[in-house]
Amino acid sequence: MTRALVVYCHPVETSFVAAVRDRAVAGLQRAGADIRVTDLHADGFDPAFTADEHVNHLRPGPDPSVAESASDLAWCDTLVLVYPTWWSAQPAMLKGWIDRVWVSGVAWSLPPGSNRLRPELRNVRRLVAVTTHGSPKWINMLEGEAGKRTLTRSLRSMCHPLSRTTWLAMYGVDTSSERRRTAFLDRVERRLARLA
Amino acid sequence: MRVAVVVAHPAVESFCHHLASRAVTGLRAAGHDVTVLDLCADGFRVAMSATEREAYHGDTPVLDPLVAAHAEVVRNAETLVFVYPTWWSGLPAVLKGWLERVLVPGVAFVFDERTGRVRPGLGGVRHIVGISTYGSPRSYVSLVNDNGRRIITRALRMSCGIRTRTHWIGLYAIDTSTDTERREFAARVERELAALR
Repeated sequence: MTRALVVYCHPVETSFVAAVRDRAVAGLQRAGADIRVTDLHADGFDPAFTADEHVNHLRPGPDPSVAESASDLAWCDTLVLVYPTWWSAQPAMLKGWIDRVWVSGVAWSLPPGSNRLRPELRNVRRLVAVTTHGSPKWINMLEGEAGKRTLTRSLRSMCHPLSRTTWLAMYGVDTSSERRRTAFLDRVERRLARLA
Repeated sequence: MRVAVVVAHPAVESFCHHLASRAVTGLRAAGHDVTVLDLCADGFRVAMSATEREAYHGDTPVLDPLVAAHAEVVRNAETLVFVYPTWWSGLPAVLKGWLERVLVPGVAFVFDERTGRVRPGLGGVRHIVGISTYGSPRSYVSLVNDNGRRIITRALRMSCGIRTRTHWIGLYAIDTSTDTERREFAARVERELAALR
């Protein structure tokens, strides 16, 4: 059975991204996946990487305050990130979850004397981003799609070597019609129902 | 020139803080007027709150006095310098949060609700400088797209003027770098910032 970890990040519970999350979860349920949902804002996740964490960053294991998030990450085989794209990338809150949870002993290890990280998240075989962009696609292409590459290259490099990535993005949300938004919600549910 | 130096590292004794102080030394030697914004030392809140998000497209998107103070520095700056460690190929969360909370409509750009167009608001910025340290070698950094650099030199650059220039000073594979390499890099930071006109 697919074990899906959904990490949702938006401060406002009535936002369009919250609706996107609901449909993503509905799709995973249709697929019969075992699902855990993390709501970073509602859970009061602290995204600030501390000086103490910096000093200990080569010591294996997460900070005790994020141990549960780390065990969820080690549990899943499918990671679904649901977030709005701001300044062409993941919101700071979600970046903080990456900075603090994807640490040594969880996501990677560094063999002594090397500068090449060894991947430790071989359990993750599928990475999915479901995201909205205020600006149109061509603007995001000019900006270099930092958020997309963070998922498909940077995060993926610490997962299973054959892991696959799925990018479900809506562009131009700021000027979108009700119809386009509904179509995107339908697409998200359909796509996630087919993942497993 | 009026220069804002934004530093994003949680440890005061970090190499990034050393680089920031060398950058400031170089800038002051060249006679520039420098303001340092040390995000972690200032206790800058990382994540945008629900109330801030709801106010984002309104008339007063800035609610936090610290954000207002930083926004004022940005409005007056002719050069923006960012000093940070690259983590997961991107900006540390606190610096990403700074972009989200300080560079809001009315500061970095103007959002026209009717046409849905974004107009740049930082036309007065002449230089954007990024100074970053990387754990990975340069080849790997390029392979994963150097996403932090993209955000600064492209996404942020778009909010600036047509003549705004970008400069990048990166130290790669820092975990296996030698003392001499780090010393030379710090000297290069001071030199290049002193040469900024």
